[in-house]
Amino acid sequence: MGILEIVIITMVKILIIVTIMLLTVSYLVYFERKISAWTQNRVGPNRVGYAGLLQPFADVFKLLLKEDIVPDVANKPIHTLAPILALIIAFGTYAVIPIGPSINLFGHEIAMVVADVNIGILYVLALTSIGVYAITFSGWSSGSKYSLLGGVRSSAQMISYEISMGFSIAGVLLFAESLRPLDIVASQSGFMWNALIQPIGFVTFVVSAFAETNRLPFDLPEAEPELVGGYHTEYSSMKFAAFFLAEYANMIIASALIVTLYLGGWQIPYIETLGLASWLTISLQVAGFFVKMGALLFFFIWVRWSLPRFRYDQLMNIGWKVMFPLSLINLIWAAILVMLLN
Amino acid sequence: MPKITIDNKELEFKPGQTIIQVAKDNGIEIPHFCWHPSLSVSGNCRVCLVEVEKMPKLVIACATIAADGMVVHTQSEKTISARNAVMEFILINHPLDCPICDEAGECKLQDYAYQHSVGESRFTETKQHKDKRVELGPHVMFDGERCISCSRCIRFCDEVAGENQLTFVKRGDKVTIVTFPGKQLDNPYSLNVTDICPVGALTNRDFRFKSRVWDMSSTKTICSGCSRGCNTDMWVRSNEVLRLTPRYNDNVNSYWMCDNGRLNTFKFVNEDSRVNGPHLRRDGKLTKVGWDEVFASAVSELKSFNKDEVAFIGSAYSTLEDNFLFAKFAKSVFGSKNFDFPRVTVPGSGDNILITEDKRPNSLGAELVGMSGNGMNFNQIIKGLIDGKIKALYVVDENLIELNPELEANIAKLDLLIVHASNFNTLTNYANIVFPSATYAEKNGTWINIEGRIQRLKPAVATFEADRSLDGMAMSRLDKFGTEYDRWGKVRKVDARSTWKIIVGLANAFGTKYKYTMAEEVFSDISKSIDEFKDLNYDSIGEFGTQLKFKKQIVKV
Amino acid sequence: MAKKKRMKDLTLLERIYLPEIAKGMALTFQNMFRPSFTMEYPEVKFEPPASYRGRPVLALEENGEERCVACGLCSRVCPALAIEVQAAETEREKERYPEKFEINMLRCIFCGFCEEVCPEEAIIMSKDYELAFSNREDAVYGKDKLLTPVSVLKDRIEFLRQYK
Repeated sequence: MGILEIVIITMVKILIIVTIMLLTVSYLVYFERKISAWTQNRVGPNRVGYAGLLQPFADVFKLLLKEDIVPDVANKPIHTLAPILALIIAFGTYAVIPIGPSINLFGHEIAMVVADVNIGILYVLALTSIGVYAITFSGWSSGSKYSLLGGVRSSAQMISYEISMGFSIAGVLLFAESLRPLDIVASQSGFMWNALIQPIGFVTFVVSAFAETNRLPFDLPEAEPELVGGYHTEYSSMKFAAFFLAEYANMIIASALIVTLYLGGWQIPYIETLGLASWLTISLQVAGFFVKMGALLFFFIWVRWSLPRFRYDQLMNIGWKVMFPLSLINLIWAAILVMLLN
Repeated sequence: MPKITIDNKELEFKPGQTIIQVAKDNGIEIPHFCWHPSLSVSGNCRVCLVEVEKMPKLVIACATIAADGMVVHTQSEKTISARNAVMEFILINHPLDCPICDEAGECKLQDYAYQHSVGESRFTETKQHKDKRVELGPHVMFDGERCISCSRCIRFCDEVAGENQLTFVKRGDKVTIVTFPGKQLDNPYSLNVTDICPVGALTNRDFRFKSRVWDMSSTKTICSGCSRGCNTDMWVRSNEVLRLTPRYNDNVNSYWMCDNGRLNTFKFVNEDSRVNGPHLRRDGKLTKVGWDEVFASAVSELKSFNKDEVAFIGSAYSTLEDNFLFAKFAKSVFGSKNFDFPRVTVPGSGDNILITEDKRPNSLGAELVGMSGNGMNFNQIIKGLIDGKIKALYVVDENLIELNPELEANIAKLDLLIVHASNFNTLTNYANIVFPSATYAEKNGTWINIEGRIQRLKPAVATFEADRSLDGMAMSRLDKFGTEYDRWGKVRKVDARSTWKIIVGLANAFGTKYKYTMAEEVFSDISKSIDEFKDLNYDSIGEFGTQLKFKKQIVKV
Repeated sequence: MAKKKRMKDLTLLERIYLPEIAKGMALTFQNMFRPSFTMEYPEVKFEPPASYRGRPVLALEENGEERCVACGLCSRVCPALAIEVQAAETEREKERYPEKFEINMLRCIFCGFCEEVCPEEAIIMSKDYELAFSNREDAVYGKDKLLTPVSVLKDRIEFLRQYK
């Protein structure tokens, strides 16, 4: 395969992924509002387009037309940099998540992942860590106490939960013996899903994922009753939209990551044994990936509209005294399992 | 001194006083409708019934002469039940039309119904119907149903106004008040009956339905109608004067004022013809300009004349402060001796009640502060004007053409006419420069009445520069809570200044720094430089004024 | 720090938290399938009960006469100073009528004191809650907008007579 081909194929993949991401994010917002309405016995958005389906576009259009307000005391370059950083990280992470097995197209073996990196998981961890900077920058540069407190809370929260997240992933890595996402998926063939093998690790990872994405019950950085809007108090117009998009993009990544690490990725157990045509199998597998991811996203939203927010000390207690030990226990459990199975 | 005990308080009294007078002097209120401190006793309302020990029955406090050792109870059970009964009787035929009635809010019957009545009537029959909306005279409207037959109005006409115009007719519950055949309630003091009427039976036709009393603010001020200087309350709503009522001052006007003063001395304040901001004549038309510009222009115009070609005419409408500073300006800043003010008297117009022949409220004051210079007097100035010797005239607050219509042609020929005027008038038609003059309703100051009593004027209407709350002016509820966005908050404020303040600006433009910022400071200068005002200040003058002691004989005006 | 006394200590299961979370989530999940209470406003309109205090209006009798006599009590009692009345004389038996009657709907707080104090049953809280204006001037409702036929206000008048 020539360099040119690789570039073209990668560009096409990026295009597809970004389009899918943007669309999914838009409609994620729509579903967030719809599901919240349903849980509260309301109707939800239903004015723009059929059943309110065009609502996300109306929202984006509205945000585009808003005035971009930057506080006088803000550090302007960093104030502008923060939302861009948030968005880049959110979209960048997606590069290493495989959505299906390799396919043969026009005589080329094409992996359904933008970049098949052999340290993909490290890449993910690295990028999400940088994600803290976006929020810290925005909080610090706004020159507002609410933003600053939101930023401080966010960084503390992310660092705390990254530990349990890392240890949970370590359990997965023990089984896969690789940092490559494709290998991790492959290691979970059949019903060897990590979620089933190491349930404690699954729970700690999911909880940490909630914390990392600043979703309820861990949305302290933007706790409205205390901090107005948290780190994005002083943002408006498209800069605010960027943060908004990043938050929802992060949610999608978290879901995709959980699917990849714990729910067998795109695999559907024993689908190969049915003897279906290969294109059908692959389509079903890709669909399977999205179904799993969709279910997780629904779970994210469902949790948000069910649980109240933690207090800050509770958040720290859970992070350090519960999640961290639990993830260690899981690691030991995984190690023992690996030892026994070998 | 003999002593009487009212409600367990031992009180001294002058022999001959009635119980109600003793009580009133000592701050004990005994309810009363028909009794009035300045009228004879008629004793027909019965609401002032009090219990006197050793007397078999309750007695009316207004007609019972206090005696030494008398013990009176005004709050005993017997008194209160009698009072309730009287109130119930009075209210039998009184219509429940407070919502329509103008008196509501300052109605004695309404107050007493709250204070001394059980609140419910046992009377279920039809009330007596009488004539409503009867025009008793040019100014007074009568509502027969509301009348409680206290006879105050009848006694007022007989005793104070001195003209028998009203009487009772019919009997029992059909009793009503009419004018004598062929007569009208048209004496010059007729409107006082609307003040003393304890209910809304007699109302002021000029003020009818204009405003509820609680929507207005009232300011204690002085009537400008003549040199009597009756004490008045000026009632203002939305920066608009709506009525004047007399204010009790035993030394001046007792409880009364004349109809002319009450009706004709405030309407020009509200009129659209008010001069709003300084005006300069440009291309034959008066044009509104800024204050600095008008001062500069006045100075350059005045400087182009010889000192004996210019005359200054003050006014007995203006306050002491205005005249004092105006005279000072003419004398020491401009350097002219030709300044005086017109004396306006209408021989035969006075009576021996309140109205005086001198139609200006401050003639004595203008005289005292030296508004007459030692150059030409007023008549000589007028002569000079006719001869053409006087080429420039500076007139404050007087309309010379109205005083003498024949002068119009001469005034038209003047090279320069500077006028302080509150309203555009025939004189301002010829003026080169018009300064907007604050009316007596808009300024702080003092007037001296015909008897030599110095009395305070207080601003009731806010001018452009004034702020009701910061300047300590009276405020109604609407004034207190209104914002600029409310319709009633968007009141008209005329850009006008007191004469003394205009003179300060003018003198400063001339290069003589006057540092007065308040009328009070001008007055303290007056009290320092003129003997008669020694040791006086605005506080010591007080609400009721102070009688001046004259060291030299003032020329009788 | 003194240990806080609880009414009841949490059981182990409750302290593990997850079962309780599951319970709560089950509840919200159930709610997703219940019918919604939303009234879709411009299409479906809320018909308020007689006790509802909407926009204050002036009652207009069937013979075309207004009840108000411009006594000004509503204006006096209004805590928000929303009402401005100017009385004038008329030839009718009740000799006073409002020459001007204005309610500033930006100031009105719908407390209903004006209605309560009115001696003529003239100012009445209607059922109208659709108040929209785009500038301050439009928010001042004059007599043209306030006068409403008594027939429309029947419900409220009956309610007032019953409970006032």
